[in-house]
Amino acid sequence: MEQRLGNTWRMTVNEKKFIESALESELRVDGRRPFDYRTLTIKFAREDGSSEVQLGQTHVMSFVTSQLVQPYRDRPNEGTLSVFTEFSPMADPSFEAGRPSESAVELGRIIDRGLRESRAVDTESLCVVSGKWVWSIRLDLHILDNGGNLVDAANIAALAALLTFRRPECTLGGDDGQEVILHPPEVREPLPLIIHHLPIAVTFAFIGEELMVIDPTHHEEAVMGGRMSVTLNANGDVCAIQKAGGHGVMQGVVMQCLRIASVKAGDITSKIKTVVESYKTERALRMVKRHAPSNAVDVNEPDQKAKQILEGQKLKSEECSVSQSDDMDVEQDRINKRSKKNRSFTGGPSSWDPYSEGVNTDELEATLASRGSVAVPMNLDNLGDNIRDETKSDEPLSDVNPVSSSTDTAGKEMSISREKTLQDAVKPKNKREKKKSSKIAAV
Amino acid sequence: MDPKPSMTFIDKPVIPGDVILDVSAMMDQTIKLGGGLQQDHDTITVIKAGILRFSEPNKYWIESSHKRFIPTVGDTVLGIVVDKRADSFFVDIKGPMVAFLPVLAFEGGTRRNIPKYEVGALIYARIVNANTGMNPELSCMDASGKAAEFGLLKDGYMFESSTGLSRMLLSSPTCPVLEGLGKKLAFEIAVGLNGRVWVNAEHPSSIILVANAIMNSESLTPVQQKIMVERLLDRVN
Repeated sequence: MEQRLGNTWRMTVNEKKFIESALESELRVDGRRPFDYRTLTIKFAREDGSSEVQLGQTHVMSFVTSQLVQPYRDRPNEGTLSVFTEFSPMADPSFEAGRPSESAVELGRIIDRGLRESRAVDTESLCVVSGKWVWSIRLDLHILDNGGNLVDAANIAALAALLTFRRPECTLGGDDGQEVILHPPEVREPLPLIIHHLPIAVTFAFIGEELMVIDPTHHEEAVMGGRMSVTLNANGDVCAIQKAGGHGVMQGVVMQCLRIASVKAGDITSKIKTVVESYKTERALRMVKRHAPSNAVDVNEPDQKAKQILEGQKLKSEECSVSQSDDMDVEQDRINKRSKKNRSFTGGPSSWDPYSEGVNTDELEATLASRGSVAVPMNLDNLGDNIRDETKSDEPLSDVNPVSSSTDTAGKEMSISREKTLQDAVKPKNKREKKKSSKIAAV
Repeated sequence: MDPKPSMTFIDKPVIPGDVILDVSAMMDQTIKLGGGLQQDHDTITVIKAGILRFSEPNKYWIESSHKRFIPTVGDTVLGIVVDKRADSFFVDIKGPMVAFLPVLAFEGGTRRNIPKYEVGALIYARIVNANTGMNPELSCMDASGKAAEFGLLKDGYMFESSTGLSRMLLSSPTCPVLEGLGKKLAFEIAVGLNGRVWVNAEHPSSIILVANAIMNSESLTPVQQKIMVERLLDRVN
């Protein structure tokens, strides 16, 4: 028992009295005024979907992972989003390892409610095969240092991680068209989540009779009589309110809190957006670097024909993306057209077959070898599907286009089209193998 | 053998396991060991990473900066009363164990006039007994039995920092932060070697200013501290 006495953090009567008396003259112990936030720093790790947020002394790490699972029976067309919290005993001596404490559960619930019940993350876009395969997004929050106001810090960390997360692209294939093929990030650019709005949590602490502060520190949390967390987005829509026990709060005070919180939510939203934007630019630049060696291999092969095909392909993909917003009849029309185009497109690569004299097979193999152990998803049986994949594959690439073209102009177009040459070079191999297998069958 | 082999280590960083002194060569003299040192038969070994300090004529100790505190006899500390028993108070001094403060360890302390400290009270005290495996013992008297500033601290604001910062604040000549602040502001300060600092002043604003200036000065050089304090005071006045 004595051991425990020695290990817990405790507060003196002097501190408690001082925090209250200083607040009466609108002063806080760290030099802020009652409605100031502490300095907010958001950092990202190298891989997608992980963030680190520092709010004053509070330090929260968050990362997002995804998995293909079976959907819930009552929602066959929706992916899932779940929040997990981890309170490390290093963060605060009062946190115990093992079973999640009451505050850990509360924190997880507030963030979960803000994100899920306001439908901030589009779960329907996470569906792959209705009733069979959907993406399950898992959000882990690790509290690294507790300096007070974990809710806001964890919420910002969660949003930053979700905004930068990308799930691997997957397509349907196989005999019955129901088989899910996952494309590794080297082959196809992973897709970001669709996030409609950013619900920001803003926490108020009520100290003494009618004193109120925003973003309470660890010390203020020890003194406060009650706390209220308001989650709202930059438009001022209230997504959730958490007011657990303690001090009673007047209706007028709640309204005042909401007004202050909407201003703060706007500030924090713009901060998150600028940070995420700079991360994305950096990421895009990194991508360009990564592809440099593979471009060098392809330079040896000036294939005018292939480039023409690719340009045509790009146009087609643009048309396809436009058609998505059209009416149903038009859509039908387009589909017909598209299938026609697909047919004409099927002609493309076949004229560019490695067995025709156009391309040197050895060189092709060399390009394949240069990719190393990258596992290329192969679908040997269904050619038609493959081609459909190919048209889709242009979308992420044209996605990258605006970012890179904004940074640099000359040569970018070229490099991208060359990138595609490499991808296409992989495809005929499937075909080749298919041919082989059919031959074997014939024999 | 060199009469003072340890000289090579003084004011240098040492790590646990370093042998700094061979006692067998200096049978005729007495040495005093402070925190972080231990006698192993004929040698003195380091058991804590830090900088070895030596004070004439014979004191040796290790200095380092921690957020926890290892009690050493003679340190003055700021403690928080955790519990009260019939014969002693339990006081938290940021150490591995709570310290005992006997109810009679006050100037003129008898069974009749036991001080009434509530739980959470802040006390300035001196460590009189610190052995491994035992709870350290505190006293609110100096060596001659006088109260000498020890005892309860009323009002003001207490914050926690590292042991290194506390030592810097207590060093002489007075560190630039306190010197600079003391010229412009009137405030009271009590520094415990366990990394707790208590500040009191007339206005809450000056308490906040002093406390934050001290907390910010931890990683600054003396010159930077001076500049920081000057800027702060300019902004306030």
